[in-house]
Amino acid sequence: MAAVVLIVLTVAFVIVRLAPGDPASLMLGPDATPEEAAELRARLGLDRPIAVQYFTFIANAVRGDLGDSLYFNQPVTKVLALRAEPTVFLALLSLIFALIVAVPIGIYAAYRRGSFFDQSAISAAMLAASVPSFWTGLIAQRWLATEYGWFPASGYGGPDADFLSRMAYLILPSFVLGIVNSALILRFTRASMLDVLGEDYIRTARSKGMGEARVVLRHALRNAGIPIITVVGLTLALLVSGAVVTERVFNIPGMGNLVVNAVLRRDYPVIQGTLIVVAVLYVLINLVSDLLYLLVDKRVRY
Amino acid sequence: MDSADVVACLNRWLVVASRGRGVANRVDSIEATGPYEVTITLHEPYSPLLALLAFSNSAAAIYPEEILADTIDEVVGTGPYRIKEHVPDQYLQLVRYENYISRNEPADGHSGARRQIPDEIRFIPVPDANTRLEGLLSGQFDFADQLNAESLSRIEQSDIAEPVILRPFSWPIFAVNHKKGLMTDKKIRRAVQAALPIDDMLFAAWGDEQFFVVDASLFPEGWVWDNEGGAELYNQNDSEKARALLEEAGYDGAPLRILTSRQYEYHFKMAEVAKLAFETSGFTVRMDVVDWATLGQRRDDPDLWDIYITHSPFLPEPALTTLWNVSARTGWGNPEKEAALAQFTAETDLAERQKLFTEMQRLNYEDVGFIKIGAFNALTGQRKGLTGVPPNPWPFFWNASIK
Repeated sequence: MAAVVLIVLTVAFVIVRLAPGDPASLMLGPDATPEEAAELRARLGLDRPIAVQYFTFIANAVRGDLGDSLYFNQPVTKVLALRAEPTVFLALLSLIFALIVAVPIGIYAAYRRGSFFDQSAISAAMLAASVPSFWTGLIAQRWLATEYGWFPASGYGGPDADFLSRMAYLILPSFVLGIVNSALILRFTRASMLDVLGEDYIRTARSKGMGEARVVLRHALRNAGIPIITVVGLTLALLVSGAVVTERVFNIPGMGNLVVNAVLRRDYPVIQGTLIVVAVLYVLINLVSDLLYLLVDKRVRY
Repeated sequence: MDSADVVACLNRWLVVASRGRGVANRVDSIEATGPYEVTITLHEPYSPLLALLAFSNSAAAIYPEEILADTIDEVVGTGPYRIKEHVPDQYLQLVRYENYISRNEPADGHSGARRQIPDEIRFIPVPDANTRLEGLLSGQFDFADQLNAESLSRIEQSDIAEPVILRPFSWPIFAVNHKKGLMTDKKIRRAVQAALPIDDMLFAAWGDEQFFVVDASLFPEGWVWDNEGGAELYNQNDSEKARALLEEAGYDGAPLRILTSRQYEYHFKMAEVAKLAFETSGFTVRMDVVDWATLGQRRDDPDLWDIYITHSPFLPEPALTTLWNVSARTGWGNPEKEAALAQFTAETDLAERQKLFTEMQRLNYEDVGFIKIGAFNALTGQRKGLTGVPPNPWPFFWNASIK
């Protein structure tokens, strides 16, 4: 894990500096002279040799200090912490939505392989995976928020909004994000179930007179669980790191919106910090997935 | 607060603000000459001074002297509302400042009475224009700025919102590199000017004649600075003339580098049309389409571009437009223009200033100092029943009320 994080730290540092653009010019606005921009660059430490900047960054990051945001003038860790809540809850709600929709349909589609239901489920999954989330977002926003007024159109609540009010702002975006991701989970669930439902032990269970619900849900689903856990884990990581478009469309002040703005502003420490957090998150989610295999399948050993 | 605060703030402004630094060498002293009176003494007459101080982009803000520092964390100003909370990228929450005493004159633009009608004014940054529109039409926002022109019909059909068109809002500019490269040759600048099909560029950018104006004057009709100086050189759309000028200049086919961005889609669309016109006239064109951050960096290096595209609201005083200054990044340093500009900024009689500005505008067209493409309008939407928010490039809400 340490090696992965070090590689990510290095890649993050290099990538953001390969992009042209100058945070100082942006912060000062169009009236600033090149001399004033150079002065600000010096104040921000951006004029130091790149190697010095790199080693300072690595040394600080190892101590958990990701530097200060150039735009917010606050520690990056604090900025990220403030933006984590909407992104994490958006990802979780989307995942819950995707699981509620995809897993039962995937199981039933596999159970009724080749039926009209199965064909419809596959087609719907293809459609959901093919439609870009920004389009789904725009349509949902226009009709479900603006025209019918069922949901707030955008944002994450005002200064006085409590937790539940803030969550109300995430329902529509998580529905939009969940639709796209349910397609992948549905197809994986169906494929895994199809593999398992053809196994000898399933036939044996049936021949012993076991009820279909018990055969499918206890014997088949449990053995199909590992690929499903893998894809759910990856989906959660993707949801946290890939909610950029949805956050933008619904103006949710999460990490996706933060990183887009940070790129536009060339706020190097925030871009680096976000990349590192996402990388660590991927590693942790994979670790949790691996541990869950142990619970689902006793034959797994590490 | 009193004059001591003003003196301290203006002295700081002369040192730290770009626009303040620009005028600092003309200022002899800033002194408190009474509890509520400040006298600014200049080495030489400088008529744009009051407009410069009043211009929001100049940032000649007045704070209590005791909070002045390199960076001011807790901003205290002079307005009718105070900041309750600012969460960057999320909201700026303003609430009434209870001790505020309004002026008694009727409200007139940014001046006059400020009546503190709303309990709270909340600014919410929403980067996407469509999200702003949906927020307005769903009733989430009372006011939405900078909407796309194609949203007009939806707002017109709304039961709860209405459109407001700010006419005119701004003018797109082709900024010309006078320091290095192709455009240092006047004949090539004149060829560029001759080739531009202004009508087509503006139509491509806005697609609806309600939202743009083809107009040579550097100021809109009805403004004191509106004039026809050099207008015959505007919107020529004459590729033959451009080709002849290129031949005279001995143009060797070196690429004309247009630096632009899609941050403002209309910049890019205008550049696309201009590119075709330039190529028809015999130019080799290279479009450098970058994001705004990169453009902001590259335009500071005169080796990297010949034209960059920008825009500006119409400012109340011509001299506030930095493109006139030889010290600007474009570096336009025509001696005749320098003389005219010096006279213009020293003159205080309005009628005389109008004449001088007409000459400055003529010189701009004649020497192609910078290129005005036209003017465009801005679409804003507001809740029906919202009053007290006059259309303005820098909207304000202290007199706003909703019936």
